[in-house]
Amino acid sequence: MRKKLSEMDYGEEGVIKSIEGKLRDKLAGMGIRVGKKLRMATKQPIKGPVVVAIDQYSISLGLGIADKIIVEVEK
Amino acid sequence: MKILLMGHPNVGKSAVFNRLTGAKVTESNYPGTTVDYTKGYMRLDGKDVEIIDVPGTFSLEPKDKAEEVAVKMLKENRDSIIICVIDSTKLERGLYLALEIIEEGYPCVVALNMWDVAEDKSIEIDVEKLEDILGVPVVPTIAVSGKGMKELVSRIKEASPVDTKKIVEKARGVA
Repeated sequence: MRKKLSEMDYGEEGVIKSIEGKLRDKLAGMGIRVGKKLRMATKQPIKGPVVVAIDQYSISLGLGIADKIIVEVEK
Repeated sequence: MKILLMGHPNVGKSAVFNRLTGAKVTESNYPGTTVDYTKGYMRLDGKDVEIIDVPGTFSLEPKDKAEEVAVKMLKENRDSIIICVIDSTKLERGLYLALEIIEEGYPCVVALNMWDVAEDKSIEIDVEKLEDILGVPVVPTIAVSGKGMKELVSRIKEASPVDTKKIVEKARGVA
C-alpha cells in the first residue's frame, strides 16, 4: 500500500517510491532517495517532525517534507 | 596549494584538522560546531601547506549560512586538494557529497572516518573496491585516536581529478 511518509505509523517499514521534484536533490544529500528502505522511528505530536531510520542511522524530517515523500508500505 | 577538509556536519572534520595540524579547534559531539572556517598549516614533504577546516555541508547546493561558507570556500580555492571526510556509518550519503566534489574536478582523497564506530555496528566496507571504483585514495581513519592519519597524509599526493564517467562505468561493472 502506498502512503505519504507523514502518514506512516510507528515502526512501519517501507520503500521510498517517489519524492517531489524540487526536494529530490536536497534529500539525496541526506541519503534519502527513491528505492531506499526506511522505518518510521518517531513521530512528534502537534505537527512536529518525524524521525525515520535508514540503513544504520536516523534522520528527522519536517512534516512539510514528509508530506512530499510517497512510500510503499510493507504488508 | 591548499588542502580543504570537507564533509557532512558531524563527521569529524575538525578532529581530523586537529590531528593534521596539532591545533585545538573546538570539537563537540553534536553537528554544526564549525560554522566558520579555520586555517592551519601542516608539513607535507618538507613544505608547510595551508589546510582549511570547512563547515559541514550536505551538498554543494547551500541551504544555510554555514553551507554557503563551505561552498564558497570550495569555489574560491580552485587549486586545492580536497580531503573528503565521510562518516563510515553513513557511507552512502557521504559518497554523494564526495561524488559532487569529484564531479567539479577537484583532486580528492576520501577519509572513512569513525571507522571504529562502523566496526562496532558491524558495517563492512570494502575499501579496496571503493578505491578502485572511485579512482581516488580511500583511507579508513579514526581521528579521535589518530589511526589512519599517517596513511591519509602520505596519500594526499596521489589525489588527482577523476572523470565521473569512469566512476559510473566501474560502478555498473560491479553492480
